[in-house]
Amino acid sequence: MSEADKSKLTPWTRRKVLGAAAASTAAVALGAGLAAPARAQGKKLTYWGGLIFSDDANKLLVDTINDWGAKNGVATEVVMINQNETTQKVSAAVASNSMPDALDVGLGLGLLLGRQGVFTTLDDLYKKIGDAQGGWYPGTDKASDTTAAAGGRIGIPFGVNGNLLLRRKDLLEPKGFKDAPKTWAELAEQAAAVNAPPVYGLGLALSNVGDGNVQINVMQAYGGRIADDEGKKVTIKSEETRAYLQWLKDAWDKGVFPPGNTTWDGAGDNQAYLAGQAAFIANTGSVGIAAKKDDPDLFESSAFSALPGGPKGVVSPIDVQLRVIPKASPMQDEAKALIEYLSNPDFMNAYFNVAIYGPVLKAQEKLKAFDGSNSILVGLLGLAQNGTAPAYPDVYNAAYADMSSNFIIPKMAQRVVIDGWDFDKAMDEAQAQAQNIYDKYK
Amino acid sequence: MAEITQSPGALPARRGVSRLTLFAYLLVAPVVLLIVGLVAYPFLFAIWISFTDQVVGNVGKWIGLANFIYLSKNSTFVSSIWNTITMVLVSDGLKLCIGLGLALLVHQHLPGRGLFRSFLMLPWAMPAFVAFLTWRVLYQPIGGGINLILTATGIHSGVIDWLGQRSTAMPAVIFATVWRGFPFWFVSFLAALQAVPKELYEAARVDGATAWQQFWTVTIPGIRQVIIVTTLLSSIWTANGFENVWLLTQGGPSDATMVFPVLAYFGMQTQRLGEAAAVSVYTLPVLIVLVLIATTLMLRDED
Repeated sequence: MSEADKSKLTPWTRRKVLGAAAASTAAVALGAGLAAPARAQGKKLTYWGGLIFSDDANKLLVDTINDWGAKNGVATEVVMINQNETTQKVSAAVASNSMPDALDVGLGLGLLLGRQGVFTTLDDLYKKIGDAQGGWYPGTDKASDTTAAAGGRIGIPFGVNGNLLLRRKDLLEPKGFKDAPKTWAELAEQAAAVNAPPVYGLGLALSNVGDGNVQINVMQAYGGRIADDEGKKVTIKSEETRAYLQWLKDAWDKGVFPPGNTTWDGAGDNQAYLAGQAAFIANTGSVGIAAKKDDPDLFESSAFSALPGGPKGVVSPIDVQLRVIPKASPMQDEAKALIEYLSNPDFMNAYFNVAIYGPVLKAQEKLKAFDGSNSILVGLLGLAQNGTAPAYPDVYNAAYADMSSNFIIPKMAQRVVIDGWDFDKAMDEAQAQAQNIYDKYK
Repeated sequence: MAEITQSPGALPARRGVSRLTLFAYLLVAPVVLLIVGLVAYPFLFAIWISFTDQVVGNVGKWIGLANFIYLSKNSTFVSSIWNTITMVLVSDGLKLCIGLGLALLVHQHLPGRGLFRSFLMLPWAMPAFVAFLTWRVLYQPIGGGINLILTATGIHSGVIDWLGQRSTAMPAVIFATVWRGFPFWFVSFLAALQAVPKELYEAARVDGATAWQQFWTVTIPGIRQVIIVTTLLSSIWTANGFENVWLLTQGGPSDATMVFPVLAYFGMQTQRLGEAAAVSVYTLPVLIVLVLIATTLMLRDED
C-alpha cells in the first residue's frame, strides 16, 4: 500500500470502533428479533409430545396431530421429547422464551410452571371435554386441580400412570401364592418364599432415583407422614415410620432385595425383572410392554395388581399427564382445538392400546382398550379408579416435590440398610433434612 | 539521541492510539465479545443467581447467603465435600503414576510401541457415556464381568456388590474414572519426554548417574511444566466430573459417592436454579486456589 493510499484511509478512532461494534451488535439483535415474529407469521403450530416407551404410541400421536393439521389448514410440527429430559428442555425453553404452542407435561412440572404463570388456564375446555365424556375420574379431577396454585386449571389430563405391582406367577403359584399380596408384610413374606438367588424376591429400588420414592408410599401405608396437615412441619420421625423401617430392615436381612438395588438407575428394576432376577417389582407398566414384545413367556407369567397396603390402608399415588398451552403461544385457539381433538374416543382408544396410561374420563373405561384383554391396562384402569392423589395422605406442595426430588426417604432407607444406622439416627437425619427443605417454602 | 519515528497510519500523538492499533482492537473485538458472551457472562451470572431464589420461570429475588446456609446444614453436602476431595486426590494421584509409568515405558524403543500407544489411547477416545455404562455392566453384582472373572479364577466366589456397598463404591468409581482419564496424562507425558534433550541423559550417564538418579534429576525437571499443567487440568475436570458418578451410582449408596456436580444436578431437578448454582459456586475458591498454585509454580519455573 502506497503512502498515498494510506492517507486515504479514514483514521479509526475509539468512537468509530465502538460505533462499529454497536452497529454490529444492533444488527445481530435485530436479526434475532425478526426471527421470532417470522415463526408466528408462518402459523406453524409446534407441539412437544412426551416420548414414551412405545414407538407405536409415539408414532400415533405424531401422525394424529399432523393429520389434524392437514385437515384444518394448520401447519404442524411435532417434536417428541424424552420424558426424562422434559424438565431440562422446558426449563431452557422458558428461560429463552422459545416454548412450543402446546406440550405434554407431568403434574409436577406443570404445577411448578403454572405457579409462575407460564400456562394459559383451560377451565372451559376442561369442563367441555368432561361433560362430553361422562365426567372426569375423581382422582384425576382432584390431582389436576391447579386452581389454588395457578388461578385455574392449566392442563387437560390425557392419561394417568403410577406404580403397579408386577409379580411372577410362575414362581409364586407353585409356592401357594395365587393372589396378589394385599399388604406390604404379605409381599415380604411371599418374596422371601420364592427368594432363590440369583432370583431375588423383592426388586424394589432403594436408590436415589424416582423408583426409590416408592418407599414413601410404603412408609405412608404404615402411617408415617412427611409433614403435618398444613404441609409445613415435618413429621417423619414417628412410631409409624419406625414400623416401616422395621419392615424394611426385616426384609433386607432376609436377603430378598437384589444386590445393587441401592444404586440402581431408573431402569434398574426393569432390567432385573426382564432378566428374570426379581419376583416382584413396582413399575409403571413399561416393563410389561417390553416383556410383551421381547419375552412373551415372561409376559404370560406376569400379573399386574395394585400396590399393597399397610396398617393405614393403600397408598398408590397417580401421576396425571397434562396437555398444556403456554401463554406465550400466538396460536391459542388452534392449540385448544388440537387438544380437544386429541381427547376424542377413537384416538384415545388407539392410544391407550399402545401406550402405558390409564383412563382419565369415566366414558373411557368403556373403550375397547379396557375390555379386560390387556392385563396391563386392567391394572391401569384400577389405578385410575382407586389410585390416591399425589402425596396422599400428605399435602402435595412445592416442599413435598422438593423433598421427593432429593430422595429423602430412600436415603433414610439406605442409612439403615447400607450404613447400619439405628432407626432413630436415620429418622433424625431425614427429619432434619426434610425440615430444612420445608423451611425454604415458608 | 535516537530519532523517534511514527509508524505509518498512526494517529496524531495527542490521540495516543494509532489507527492500526484501533484496527487491531476491532479485529479482536469479535473474539473478545465471544469470550465475554460465552465464558464471562455465564460465569458471573451463575454467581449472581446463587444469591437469589431463582426457579425455572421466575427470575427470583436476592436472598443473600440463604442458599449457602441451607447447603451447609445439609449432611449430604458435607459428605460431597470430602468425596470430591477424595475423588480428585486419589484418582489424579493414580492417573499421574499410571500415566507417567506408561509414558516412560512406551518412550523406550520397544517393538510394536506405536500400536501400544494407540491402544492406550482407546479409553480416552471412547465417549464417557459409553465408557461408564460399560463399567456399570462390568460391576453388576449378578452377571457382571468382574465377578465372573473372580469366580472363574477362583479368587472369590459369590456376589460382590461393587457399587452397592459403602466400602467398595468409591474405589469402584475412582477405578473407572482413572481408567477413562489416564490416557490424557500418558499422552501429555509422552510428548514432554520426547522434548527432553538426550544430551542431558548422556551427560548424566557420563557423570555416573543411575537410572533412578536420571529420572529425578533429568526427567522430572524436564517435564515439570507438563506435570503441573496436566495436574491442574485434570483436577478441574475430575472435580467437575458428572458422568462417572451419575452413571455408576447417582451418588449412592447412601451418600458414599456424592460429589458436587451430582449434588448440583439434584438442585437442577427441583428447578431451584439458585440453589444448584450455589453448589457450583462453593467449588470456585478451591479451583481458583488450584489455578493460582499451578500458575505460581509455572511462573517460578520460567524465572
